[in-house]
Amino acid sequence: MSITHAAAIAIAFACLAAPARGQEAPKPAAAPISGNMAYKDRIRPLLDRYCLGCHSGEKPKADLDLAKFNDGDSVFKGLETWELVLDYVESGEMPPKDKPQPSAMEREAIVAWITAQLAQVDCTKSNPGRVTMRRLNKVEYNNTVRDLLAVDIRAGDDFPSDDVGYGFDNIGDVLTLPPILMEKYLAAAQKIAELAIVTDEPSAGPIAAVEGSKIKAEPGATVAPDGSIVFASNSTAKLEFQAPKAGDYIFRVRAFAQQAGTETARMGLVRDGKPLRAFRVDAVDGATFPYEHKIRLPEGKVSLGVAFLNDYYNEKAPAEKRDRNLLVEKIEIQGPAETEVRNLPRSHRQIMIPRKPGATESEYRRAILENLAYRAFRRTPTPDELDRLAGLATMVQKDGGRFEEGIQLALQAILVSPHFLFKVEVDRRPRNPAVDLAFPISDFELATRLSYFLWSSMPDRELLDLARDKKLSDEKVLLAQVKRMIADRKSNQFVENFAGQWLQLRNLENIQPDKKQFPEFDESLRSAMQKEAEMFFSTIMKEDRSILEFLDANWTVVNARLARFYGIPFSRNGGTAIREQYRKVDLPDDRRGGILTMASTLTVTSNPTRTSPVKRGKWVLEQLLGTPPPPPPPNVPELEDQEGKLTGTLRQKMEQHRANPNCAVCHSKLDPLGFGLENFDAVGKWRDKDAGAPIDPSGELPGGKRFAGPKELRNILLERKDDFSRCLTEKMLTYALGRGLEYKDKCVVDQITATLARQDHKFQVLVTEIVKSDPFRKRNAKGRD
Amino acid sequence: MNSQPISRRTVLRGLGTAVALPWLEAMAPVAAVAGQAPSKSPLRMAFFYVPNGVHMPAWKPEKTGTGFDLPAILQPLAKHKDNLLVISGLAQDKGRANGDGPGDHARALGSFLTGAQPFKTDGANIRLGVSVDQVAAEHVGKHTRLPSLELGIDRGPQSGNCDSGYSCVYSANISWRNETMPMSKEINPRLVFERLFGGDSDESSSTGSAAARRRKYRLSVLDYVDEDARRLAQRLGSADKRKLDEYMTAVRDIETRITRLETPTERPRSSAAAPSYPRPTGIPTDYQQHVRLMADLLALAFQGDVTRVATFMFANEGSNRSYSFIDVPEGHHDLSHHGNDDAKQAKIQKINTFHTQLFGYFLDRLASVKEGDGTILDHSMIVYGSGIGDGNRHNHDDLPVLLVGKGNGTIRSGRHIEYDQETPMNNLYLSMLERVGIAREKLGDSNGRLSNLDS
Repeated sequence: MSITHAAAIAIAFACLAAPARGQEAPKPAAAPISGNMAYKDRIRPLLDRYCLGCHSGEKPKADLDLAKFNDGDSVFKGLETWELVLDYVESGEMPPKDKPQPSAMEREAIVAWITAQLAQVDCTKSNPGRVTMRRLNKVEYNNTVRDLLAVDIRAGDDFPSDDVGYGFDNIGDVLTLPPILMEKYLAAAQKIAELAIVTDEPSAGPIAAVEGSKIKAEPGATVAPDGSIVFASNSTAKLEFQAPKAGDYIFRVRAFAQQAGTETARMGLVRDGKPLRAFRVDAVDGATFPYEHKIRLPEGKVSLGVAFLNDYYNEKAPAEKRDRNLLVEKIEIQGPAETEVRNLPRSHRQIMIPRKPGATESEYRRAILENLAYRAFRRTPTPDELDRLAGLATMVQKDGGRFEEGIQLALQAILVSPHFLFKVEVDRRPRNPAVDLAFPISDFELATRLSYFLWSSMPDRELLDLARDKKLSDEKVLLAQVKRMIADRKSNQFVENFAGQWLQLRNLENIQPDKKQFPEFDESLRSAMQKEAEMFFSTIMKEDRSILEFLDANWTVVNARLARFYGIPFSRNGGTAIREQYRKVDLPDDRRGGILTMASTLTVTSNPTRTSPVKRGKWVLEQLLGTPPPPPPPNVPELEDQEGKLTGTLRQKMEQHRANPNCAVCHSKLDPLGFGLENFDAVGKWRDKDAGAPIDPSGELPGGKRFAGPKELRNILLERKDDFSRCLTEKMLTYALGRGLEYKDKCVVDQITATLARQDHKFQVLVTEIVKSDPFRKRNAKGRD
Repeated sequence: MNSQPISRRTVLRGLGTAVALPWLEAMAPVAAVAGQAPSKSPLRMAFFYVPNGVHMPAWKPEKTGTGFDLPAILQPLAKHKDNLLVISGLAQDKGRANGDGPGDHARALGSFLTGAQPFKTDGANIRLGVSVDQVAAEHVGKHTRLPSLELGIDRGPQSGNCDSGYSCVYSANISWRNETMPMSKEINPRLVFERLFGGDSDESSSTGSAAARRRKYRLSVLDYVDEDARRLAQRLGSADKRKLDEYMTAVRDIETRITRLETPTERPRSSAAAPSYPRPTGIPTDYQQHVRLMADLLALAFQGDVTRVATFMFANEGSNRSYSFIDVPEGHHDLSHHGNDDAKQAKIQKINTFHTQLFGYFLDRLASVKEGDGTILDHSMIVYGSGIGDGNRHNHDDLPVLLVGKGNGTIRSGRHIEYDQETPMNNLYLSMLERVGIAREKLGDSNGRLSNLDS
């Protein structure tokens, strides 16, 4: 169980639970207080006396078994655990008040030893880790197909849900590929290819059959009223055609011949008396063949003719071989043909790039596939890949398909290829394997990381071309691209996907508040709530404001509906227009401010019929402060049996619950935060009373911090800005990398939060610091993770 | 051909209110297609899951044996009493912490069909075990066009962590192909219909040369990407290779399926011809209609022998769904921590009873289709249950479990059997596998088979 046990603790503290320590430069461990000797002589005895009574044995409290750490080095096998121990001992929360307390010096010794031991995580050495190859999730698939092909059919909506890990749905380890998904990829690829590429012939235009009365035959030929002509000997039949406008026409003669002699019957087509083309007419009676010639005509009259060129007659031959005649069933003129001006969709024009003059069909095919694969694989395709794609396309043509149908099949293969579906990063060797754990990822791979981070989609041509020219890894270029990408409309995907998951806004659509209790809640309010949070986030991002405004701000973004719900004034001219109907407005009082008091987040953390101070408290600790409480004890059932029935108001019931010391450990942290938000009901509307009784929004946090209501609660959170900025850094880094953070990422997180603090906590500093960081730009070599 | 009553279509669009006709009656054409009378009726297997436990006092019959009583929650199944086997005493030990701390909801679902302890992680190294349905699918799946069908109502969670440090993958997926591969469920009736009976682009939707050419092209695409994957694998590390393995397995799966269609002797007996059942248009907003529609589709799949193995989740584990349409507006999970409050327990019971009603609807469908010497229900083994007993206590023993259907005459139903406490749930599964010809000796934490299911 030991592995599982350690992992359990690690996970519960996914946001590395640490106040900003170690921001100062890493230093080698101070010999006297760290190491095995110190542990054995000084630290373990203290643990024995104050901790192991509960935290050891068959059923250790909080599932934390400290007895198994037998020497100082074993700390390195449970770094997260010790980080946790450090927090508790340092803050005085452990040992519990009713248990023997270590002296201040003893406490200090434990803290110093753990700190020193932890400081041995060597931040001078780059250890960026390895991201498990990530497939595109549903959102990314939709966006990528849209940007690659200009086809917006959202085929991904029909895929099974993507599983979520570390709070996000873009985690490589969690995104699996069951057979049903492959089934859907294939079906989607076919549908998309059919939509993207038009395969029917351009129309050759209307067909006009020439009537007999319009045809003038020389002697030797006879014209019937239906327009058929019998050529008994060499002669020409002419007609005058009025071209309605200039363009391409097809001059078509449906004919057959009675064959005789050694030659095949020959037919000539004539324009204005000059020969255009001669055909061998090998079609026979009952199998008329259309002989065609394309002509380009100006508007107006033109003279066209059909001639029989090699009459033959031998009366000595047997009857059926005696006479060669040409028989024309019908003359047709078709046109004018539609030209390239026809309305081909953008997707088609984008794929079927202009053909270079003089390029052969196979050269043209390759050019098309190269252009397509470059963008679809997000790198230069190899000659071999192009050969194989071209092979698929020519196979279709060999089966009688059109050129475009061949490209369609190649496109299908591209859309199901692992190079399209996965964000592939191949292994390389570190520059100096003796020293380096890691190597920089390629410029193309960097472009892909960047664009899926900020756009949830493929890199555009500018990013790809910079990568191809190996300029993207240049830091100046890279940062300029980040600015450009944030300013781009596509960064709305970062808001929807990152903020949507960080703040859990996405869960809003599944919340079903009780209609009887909350009649005001409907779809338009739900949508306004969500938009408020998204636009608030987006404003901070685009205006490069301080991330601390998430915790408290004197403005927000509302439409008329939400303003009414909040009871704040709204006018069409007030504030700044953000998007249609939505305006950035100043808040009239300090009831609300920042994401903590938005209707969206308050609703998401409620039950359908009531508020949940516990869920709200947990949300604050997990999503904002990154210091989740230790999980509830595993033996909850017995506890609840002991309790019997709880009585009284919600707050009273919860206080009875907390009277149990086992529960109090967590709930003294969770509940007060939630109580501070009790003025907001289960859909986030302000209230002064609950079930007739006045709301008591005051509370006291562990450590004795008191607050009287939501405004003071926000002030307390603002005092913990370092925890907040660390937590947001961790969340965003997790999302940017698509993997869970590990202990070794602590160095990078420390560094980014320190930079943030120095630069006024500006949002874009956070994004650029993440992009500049080693975990984002490098990858550990095989076997070095 | 039956004509389609307009009201049916309306119902399917989620606009109607009630369903009068037993829907399967309108499905004669499928029966005609499927009726290439097999000598012996195929044996079907399905697993229905309800989250958050049930109110056990209103579930567990007092009497055992054939004279058992039907407590309130089981009342809606009275009609099928003869086909009912109420099984008490089973435990899913791997749902318990066993040193892993909290997370009973994630473990309840994770262990339910696997008997395996989910590895506690929010992402890296997700690991569980193969589930009983997938063991069955691997063996009997080759007889049908789809080896198995995974159905549900809730999509996977959109964000957040689901249960005390367990990735949402454990509380949203009941079916596991192997230790690391959950089988995602389908929640959209339209897409289920298309999978069962062919969409516009399905490789098996028709015969003839056009279809043959489509299959040829699809196989060429699969060849192409398989080659891509094999070349790529050489350039990747182990974790990435595992991902690529998933990819290649999926590619081969579908290749096999298409190739089987090309070989007359191996072609599944089931037909892909769409029944006269109206094509669903999407996900009904009404929960009850959603469940019924899925139940109909599963019944159709069994009837047409498109698959013989299925799972169905009434909701994700830990679901906080509000059942306001039966006057239970509170969240289900919230209520399930009833703290022994009578009013809350009554409401839990109401939700539980509502679920068994819907389950009864599915049983009605199976029982209404004649097949060979009986009905489809006679030729089925349908498990219904939860991986939690009492939602308030999060216990994983004495679980609520039903086994419905006569299993082609191998199960003596119409009884309540009480096994010794702590009998592994997986023993039941071994017994079921045995009945479809799989002589497996061990699955998860099983320690034998259940005795006297047939005596």
